[in-house]
Amino acid sequence: MSRYQVDKLLRDLRRDPDLAGRFRENIDAVLADYELDSAEHELLKRWQIRELYDRGVNPLLLLLAHGTTGRSMRDYAELMKPRNRPNGG
Amino acid sequence: MAQVVAGIACSHVPFMVSPKNWERLNAGERANLRAGFDRARQILEAARPDVLITFADDHFDRCFYDNLPAFLVGVGETARGPAVADFGLPQVSVPIQSDLARFIVTEGLERGVDFAFSEELALDHAEMAPMVHLTPRWDIPIIPIVVNAFAPPMPSLQRCFDVGAFVGGCVERWPGNQRVAFLGTGGLSHWVGPPETGRINAEFDRWFLERLTRREIAEITTRYARHADLEAVAGNGGQEIRDWLAVAGAMPSRLRPQVLAYEPLQAWFTGTGIMSWSAI
Repeated sequence: MSRYQVDKLLRDLRRDPDLAGRFRENIDAVLADYELDSAEHELLKRWQIRELYDRGVNPLLLLLAHGTTGRSMRDYAELMKPRNRPNGG
Repeated sequence: MAQVVAGIACSHVPFMVSPKNWERLNAGERANLRAGFDRARQILEAARPDVLITFADDHFDRCFYDNLPAFLVGVGETARGPAVADFGLPQVSVPIQSDLARFIVTEGLERGVDFAFSEELALDHAEMAPMVHLTPRWDIPIIPIVVNAFAPPMPSLQRCFDVGAFVGGCVERWPGNQRVAFLGTGGLSHWVGPPETGRINAEFDRWFLERLTRREIAEITTRYARHADLEAVAGNGGQEIRDWLAVAGAMPSRLRPQVLAYEPLQAWFTGTGIMSWSAI
């Protein structure tokens, strides 16, 4: 897992509103600019943040980036519950 | 010689910037926290500092895993903030006491503290949120020191205390005649982003404040010598007690530590404390 690349994308979403806009509208094009493996690509595309957290992605970056995707804090808490891990958790 | 005249340590939860977030607190919490900040501001004003040295961390808005120092000193002429506009923070430009900042860096490199330094270090809510309440005129020259208390692996708690002590020693060796105060920000217990987000451990927070008040530093730094042990009881946000320990290290024994306020603020997701070291 290229955890650094995931952290970097999350950092960039926080710093760059234009990138965050493109992430919302054409996520594949944004993800193509980062050296992600196929599992990371899918987890980010489906915004499976609990699985990303369990893989060691920095939780502060996950929280900060979550807000830029247009989702609510309530969504964040829900997505971080174990049952929202792929395959049931 | 310059002298250390006061120290403040407090939380920097960014909700404290906006008046509407204060309305989310209950009356008792609001009154206690306001009184604590008022008292801290009065202590700073009574100490008449010419320079404010800050120990604060970051939230990946200034430092990232591509280049992440343990201790980073702003040595330029001015610190602008915030690094990323958020939380209703004002746009500010604060002078840096550049000569003393460069002295601290040089002393460190010659005496065993490998400071990184920056000619263009922006301010984060870690400094700015408390300063909205403590130094609202933004007119005291600062020396911002960023401590890695946010991106593991981090310097140990003991190292943060020792580096604070070293910086305090630099101030008292500096041939200028400035009066220097310290501000450390962060914590106390809170979880920012993990599944436990929103949890507060008031028992840990009160234990930590009592240890600082009694100057029982070794009890803190030995019990939580491992990053994971602190994370388990205080969360990833609790790692920011490094900034409090750095201030504690910088304080001469003539300045008395006291807790000014503590509230486990569920509405702000943070164990929120304020402490001072002063001669009054």
